[in-house]
Amino acid sequence: MTYDFVEPVVFALLSIGLIAGGVAVVMLNRITAAALLMAFTFLCMAGMFVLLGAETIALFQVLIYVGAITVLILYGVMFTRFSDRPRALFFQRQTPLAAVFVAAVAIPVAIVALSFTSPTPRPGGGDLVPLATSVFTDFAFPFEIASVLLLAAMVGAIVLTKRDDPGESALRRRR
Amino acid sequence: MTVPLGAYVVVSTVLFFIGCAGVLVRRNAVVILMCVELMLNAANLALVAFSRKYGSIDERGSVFVIFVFVIAAAEVAVGLGIVLSAYRNRPVVNVDEIHQMKG
Amino acid sequence: MPVGPFGIDPLIWAPLRLVIAVVLALFLVLNGALLQIYLERKIQAIIQDRLGPYHVGPFGLLQTFADALKLISKEDVRAAATDGWFFVAAPALVFCPMLASWVVLPFAQDIVGANLNLGLLYLTTLGSMTVLGIVIAGWASNNKYALVGGLRSAGQLISYEIPQILALVSVALVVGSLSMVDITRSQAGPFVNVLFLPFPFVIYFIAALAETNRTPFDLPEAESELVAGWLTEYSGMRWGTMLALSEYGNVTVVCAIVTTLWFGGWQGPGVDAIPLLGVLWFTLKVYAFIVIMMWIRATLPRLRIDQLMSFCWKGLIPMALVNIVVVAILALAFPTTKIPIAIASWLLLAVFVAGIPLVQRRRLRALRARARAATAPAVRAAS
Repeated sequence: MTYDFVEPVVFALLSIGLIAGGVAVVMLNRITAAALLMAFTFLCMAGMFVLLGAETIALFQVLIYVGAITVLILYGVMFTRFSDRPRALFFQRQTPLAAVFVAAVAIPVAIVALSFTSPTPRPGGGDLVPLATSVFTDFAFPFEIASVLLLAAMVGAIVLTKRDDPGESALRRRR
Repeated sequence: MTVPLGAYVVVSTVLFFIGCAGVLVRRNAVVILMCVELMLNAANLALVAFSRKYGSIDERGSVFVIFVFVIAAAEVAVGLGIVLSAYRNRPVVNVDEIHQMKG
Repeated sequence: MPVGPFGIDPLIWAPLRLVIAVVLALFLVLNGALLQIYLERKIQAIIQDRLGPYHVGPFGLLQTFADALKLISKEDVRAAATDGWFFVAAPALVFCPMLASWVVLPFAQDIVGANLNLGLLYLTTLGSMTVLGIVIAGWASNNKYALVGGLRSAGQLISYEIPQILALVSVALVVGSLSMVDITRSQAGPFVNVLFLPFPFVIYFIAALAETNRTPFDLPEAESELVAGWLTEYSGMRWGTMLALSEYGNVTVVCAIVTTLWFGGWQGPGVDAIPLLGVLWFTLKVYAFIVIMMWIRATLPRLRIDQLMSFCWKGLIPMALVNIVVVAILALAFPTTKIPIAIASWLLLAVFVAGIPLVQRRRLRALRARARAATAPAVRAAS
């Protein structure tokens, strides 16, 4: 008995999880549940990366998306109160336009995508060494620019959310 | 019987367009940010799938994915900063009501 | 045609192996938590000059069993306004990453769950997933104190991940691999890594104290603050899972990382002859660090949340960055020998320890002046 059926079964399960999570994020009214299901989507995506043989990327995905971005989004959800009538979800002005656009673009893309029938090879050896070599030699300059981008984002986020403390601004004026 | 490359690309497309529909239809700014994250994830999946098309790992796909991670994280941080400071000004997060720079 | 061990069909062996691993890890976590709760109470008692548990069983050894039985038999009280599924799921979200991180710890020569070549990255990733569980727990309790406690704890955990990861990366730089088994094997004999890299050890130990919410960084869960913080609404076995099992499991994992990376892991005298002796050495070393953590808990006072955050961002992270830059430059410049790295690391540690009074000299001067002013009338009255 060959064990080749394991990979397609795992792929099917993971893609069902992915798409179900995505649909839940778009359609759920309870935002906290949507945020947690988004985290579930990220975990399924990490599973897909492992299936493709990219373990380092999978671990970075969990570390960055589930560990940090989901927490950020949950902070955003907790600090804002949304007042919207649930039944207004699919009767926005843009809904027909959205449906037409999605159908017009997604269906041809999917049809073209189905023509890629070559089997996805799973290269052995893991992807840590080629990835690390590439980042630090060929792509060292974009890597440094990415660090500067993160610094700019940090400074921007702090400046945007800094509260104007009346005592502190009075102190600054006095000085 | 391994999974063909087209399957990964189809899943990535479907997820991308689910996120796209979410961005167009939802009214809550934080949910729009969540759908943008979904779209970025779908793009990552397509990148990693294509980087394995020719047998050996083409590490440039994976490197691009790392940069997409960085950009997504930076964008969520700044986006949430914008949403929260707008909320502090006027406590609405419904994008229909904050599209005019008045008040 | 692959055949599994004992001739079992590999299709059955793969999930069976997973079940065995999970059961073994659960067994270790449960027993470890029991032992550590007892040790904590006894050690705190000894340091505080009192007796600790001594009624139940000889030397009070069965006290934790009694506590566990009580917790299991407690009524499951759930406030009606808590958020349904999230309230129930939060303990699982806090517990599962900790359980999953036992799989890469090397207990002896060939006794490791899975020799991942990314073991260290895997451990840091799981550490960052605990934050999600804590935020959900704080939110689901529908209690503003729990929410604030949860967000504070999440902020603390996220901040202290950074020096933790930087310290681990500097060790991985010197060793050349992220696999826990390789790191253990790279420390030959008595030349364990702490002799070459003491500074990352100190940084990681302090950051790990904060990551596991131990004193002096246990503001989010302290009993006298914020009504027990993010676990306010949890009682009975939910509290048992989240606090006792998760925290002590996390403490064990963190001490296991410290042992593996800096103190040679399972190596010790006699391991070449009897490989199973490695388990004994590993356990002894891990529990030595756990006892040190408990000793610190009984000794140091608690930091306030702003002191904690400023210590991380203005103290530990710059030192961790300096450390990693120095280690990287020296590892590249002198690839064959570890002596320059050792000298630089000990120097940095000395600078760090000596620099604290220097950086805080204004506050020290104020404290000394206040102490002098406070004792001056007493001295005048006595003379």
